[in-house]
Amino acid sequence: MSLSTQDLSVGYHGKAIVKEVSFELPKGKIIALLGPNGCGKSTLLKAMARILKPMTGQVFWNDQDLHQMPSRQLSKELALLPQTQPIPEGVKVKDLVAYGRSPYTGFWGRLNKEDNRIINDVMAQVGITELGEQLVSELSGGQRQRAWLAMTLAQDTPYLLLDEPTTYMDLSHQVELMQTLRKLNSSGKTIITVLHDINQAARYCDHLIVMKDGEIITQGEPENVLTQDMLKTVFSLNAQIHRDPIANTPMCVVE
Amino acid sequence: MDAIQGLLSPSKDVIAQHIVHDIRLPRALLAATVGACFAAAGVVMQGLTQNPLASPAVLGVNAGAALGMAAVSTITPWFGLLGISMAAMIGGGVAWTLVMILGSAWRGGSDTGRLVLAGVAISALCAAFTKALVIMEEDQASAVLSWLAGSFANGNWDTWSLFWPVALFALIGSQLLTPTLNLLQLGDDNAQNLGISLVWTKLAGSVLVLILVGSAIGASGSISFVGLLVPHMARILCGQDHRYFLPLSMLMGSALVVLADTLSRGIIFPLETPAGAILALIGAPFFIYLVKKRAS
Repeated sequence: MSLSTQDLSVGYHGKAIVKEVSFELPKGKIIALLGPNGCGKSTLLKAMARILKPMTGQVFWNDQDLHQMPSRQLSKELALLPQTQPIPEGVKVKDLVAYGRSPYTGFWGRLNKEDNRIINDVMAQVGITELGEQLVSELSGGQRQRAWLAMTLAQDTPYLLLDEPTTYMDLSHQVELMQTLRKLNSSGKTIITVLHDINQAARYCDHLIVMKDGEIITQGEPENVLTQDMLKTVFSLNAQIHRDPIANTPMCVVE
Repeated sequence: MDAIQGLLSPSKDVIAQHIVHDIRLPRALLAATVGACFAAAGVVMQGLTQNPLASPAVLGVNAGAALGMAAVSTITPWFGLLGISMAAMIGGGVAWTLVMILGSAWRGGSDTGRLVLAGVAISALCAAFTKALVIMEEDQASAVLSWLAGSFANGNWDTWSLFWPVALFALIGSQLLTPTLNLLQLGDDNAQNLGISLVWTKLAGSVLVLILVGSAIGASGSISFVGLLVPHMARILCGQDHRYFLPLSMLMGSALVVLADTLSRGIIFPLETPAGAILALIGAPFFIYLVKKRAS
């Protein structure tokens, strides 16, 4: 399994947001996609999840053009958590999570034992078991985000594409989420996630990809990517790099 | 007693039994199926557009179908029921396509007001053309007018035998679409992510709507409000899962139209009020209520 792009340009209304990007996702790692607002992180993620069609270039899934492949087959291989979610009226949390199983369900969306086991597992993983009977529209922002995340996890795909999964979450749920991602990663999943907290990315991710103006500026291990120069050129920030006293990972402190 | 006898084994001599078997029964069956078709069409349209005001009447399909029908029956009156149904489907299809383009409903996240406005505009345009046709071809005017109002007064076994296979096909088809409609309410991105092809789903859904509405209009005439009203009532009763509330909508649509048809015979007996008019009487206040509820 591999997910890569070649000379990929993609955008909206004829205007390219991501410009001729070529890269391959390192398999089996947690990858953070970093960059200032509007640099094309979400757009890149959507193109890799086949939601947006490329203007030029291709996305490859195992050396096949991703956008030519049957959508249902891909839905068992990669799952996307979009940045913004609609609030469906009258849908219960456990039904929402169950919809994540729809690539697998047979005739008329019937759930089998295995489906129900996975649904219960992922709900426990993100800590929403007790919210199951509530309506999605009645949840708080952070709870709702976790419900959607559970739906994405219920898809049970080897590749996970997450667009700002920590949005709306309080600090303790953010930490819990990053630890959940590590656990999923050690069970074999490749995870790429857009994050805004650079220190969180450096601490929990194996590989950082930094974007600016639709191009990939640099990528690699946090040790090599998180530098004073990079913060200056990409984020226009004057910052120092220190060691995280607990995890011993690089960490930036703004001057 | 005669009524039951008439249903089971009509004898040739009793007039009441004849009435039940030859007039009442096909008429009731037609009304029930037409109701189910309009209700199902409403559910599918609301699902496809993610717009609570979507329904065949609001989004111009009824008016387009009526125009198609009027055109065929005034210009070439020898087409028969199948021809009329086809004309209704084509007319409805053209109107629906125009509304979708004007309301930019093919793009995700289009705003709901724009779609409804496009529907109202196209409906008005089609209605104007239909009236012009009626004025130009006066001999056919009364038949067209009774269709426009929506009435089962002319329902008979011939109409029924042409109507039910098409209706059954489309009703089953829409039932097969329900798991997909469930996913559409999660938004276009999530639906695609879960393996749904938006283009094919919207195309298949639109074709089903046109068959449902076209055949129903061909059989009875333009019935509004069932498609708008019934899906909301069914949702209140059994929740958002399309797999369950679509069949419930069909049942309720049947019941509502049969009820309206019964009332239409009784209100100013022996004259007939068109069933469509009765439904409009019930439906219009509900429509206003929905608009108000969304505004607040």
